[in-house]
Amino acid sequence: MSNRYVCVPTVTVLAMMKARLTGAVKGHALLKKKADALTLRFRQILKKIVQTKQEMGKTMRAGAFALTEAKYAAGEFATTVLDSVESASVRVNAQQDNVAGVKIPRFERVMTGASDTKMHLTGLGKGGQQVQYCRKAYMTAVELLVELASLQTAFLTLDEAIKTTNRRVNALDNVVIPKLENTIAYIKGELDELEREEFFRLKKVQANKRKVADELVKRRLRENGPTPNGAKGALHDMMPGVDQDADIVF
Amino acid sequence: MYGFEALWFNIKDGYLDGVVRGHRSGLLTTADYNNLCQCETLDDIKLNLTGTDYGPYLANEPSPLHTTTIVDRCTEKLVDDWNKMRANADEPLGEFMDYCTYGHMIDNVVLIVTGTLHERDVHELLEKCNPLGMFDSIATLAVASSMRELYRLVLVDTPLAPYFSESLSAEDLDEMNIEIMRNTLYKAYLDDFAAFCRRLGGATAEVMGGLLSFEADRRALNITLNSIGTELTRDDRRKLYSNFGLLYPHGHHELAAAEDFDQIRSAMEKCPPYQAIFTKLGFGESQMLDKVLFEEEVRRLCDTFEQQFHYSVFFAYMRLREQEIRNIMWIAECVAQDQKIRINDGIVYLF
Repeated sequence: MSNRYVCVPTVTVLAMMKARLTGAVKGHALLKKKADALTLRFRQILKKIVQTKQEMGKTMRAGAFALTEAKYAAGEFATTVLDSVESASVRVNAQQDNVAGVKIPRFERVMTGASDTKMHLTGLGKGGQQVQYCRKAYMTAVELLVELASLQTAFLTLDEAIKTTNRRVNALDNVVIPKLENTIAYIKGELDELEREEFFRLKKVQANKRKVADELVKRRLRENGPTPNGAKGALHDMMPGVDQDADIVF
Repeated sequence: MYGFEALWFNIKDGYLDGVVRGHRSGLLTTADYNNLCQCETLDDIKLNLTGTDYGPYLANEPSPLHTTTIVDRCTEKLVDDWNKMRANADEPLGEFMDYCTYGHMIDNVVLIVTGTLHERDVHELLEKCNPLGMFDSIATLAVASSMRELYRLVLVDTPLAPYFSESLSAEDLDEMNIEIMRNTLYKAYLDDFAAFCRRLGGATAEVMGGLLSFEADRRALNITLNSIGTELTRDDRRKLYSNFGLLYPHGHHELAAAEDFDQIRSAMEKCPPYQAIFTKLGFGESQMLDKVLFEEEVRRLCDTFEQQFHYSVFFAYMRLREQEIRNIMWIAECVAQDQKIRINDGIVYLF
């Protein structure tokens, strides 16, 4: 099947198709812009993710080592810490960012301040400072983790969005717009063809009429003899309106 | 101070004294630590430890080793030694050895009690208990639903009962911060242990007196240091200090009032033995304090082996082994986490 829409080649359809084409071109430009914006953001996020991950590695190492120091000084304190927790002291808040119409989830660390005071006394007899130090080290790690989670989710969402947008851009670029153009060309071709046929037909009709009129004049001449006004005058008398044929449009 | 222990000490305790001194020579030396520090993987550490007393305990460990496994096996060695000696101990050595483990027992009771309050599985909790501080009825601790019941049903039969009844009331049990409870109990325990050692008399009383007062003072120092900036009031802080030691009572007043490290320092420096410790520290260096204190403790513990006919060697052996296990843990963690630059920060050389 040829690459065009199936339609009746008329002037109305042509107008419609032209409107669709302008729409498609405009949409294509907009989507292209959106895709560019998304890609820009995507690249930024990717850069940040790499940075954060590297930092994460460092922080986690520091945290693990702080834990070792704390264990060295305070013995096994994990259970004490676990059991003195009543409610989470860190919570994650989810919000939404809007990048070029794509909704991206963003996480934020919120300190609730709960069980802070209780924690201060952990390892009171020995190693309390190291425990606090370890706590701080892991706090920064948690902050980074939340940031990283936020970035990763944004990364995935953006990735998906970019893919769909690109698909749409490509679909418009490679399928819809050429198809519309083809259709328009086809309709125009058809219309021209029709016009030529019409013109030819009119010519034919005119020729026919003239032939009929000539024959009539000849017959009259044969019956009545030559008229003083000559053929031309007789023709005008008998066939008024030959010169302004009603059928002739131009 | 010296009685006639030499006359009768070996009748009852000579065998175990020999055993414990034998164990002492099994402790890792500086050369051993140097070898351990060269290790690149945990398997290397295992290989190095095979030549020591820990060898049989680590021999059957399958290869992906973890720091915790090594530490657990090493602890197992200590616990086995200790239990073997405890089983052979005559009175009053047996009681003395029990006293040595009450500290761990307090930790275990606190662990189980807090665990129970948060409805954790008992078996899971028992696994986390220090094996040195186990007692027969420990599993039943979890049965009690309220603190009053806990005391009435379980604790009353344990050696810890007097510490609970002396220093804690039923309301305290329900409301008190668990760390304060632990330290209150520990204070009562140290006081009791010191009194017990004084009752034993002789060289034991003298040597243990020194060790315990160092322990008490170190605790006082740590409590002060760790409670700066918390909601623990001066009076509460004061209540957690033991009733003996070189700082008692004047130093305690100063410590209770101390608000920062320098004030603590000036309070501590009034005692000549601690002045020497603090001169090793530069001003403002509180991070190194722990290690310096550990070193001082180890020095004192090692000195106990220089004296004859007393029980402190058992206490010293337990503490030294524990320090050694801490050292091994430190080395293993440094190796596992690829932080070998810091490896010397945590090792306290015993001999």
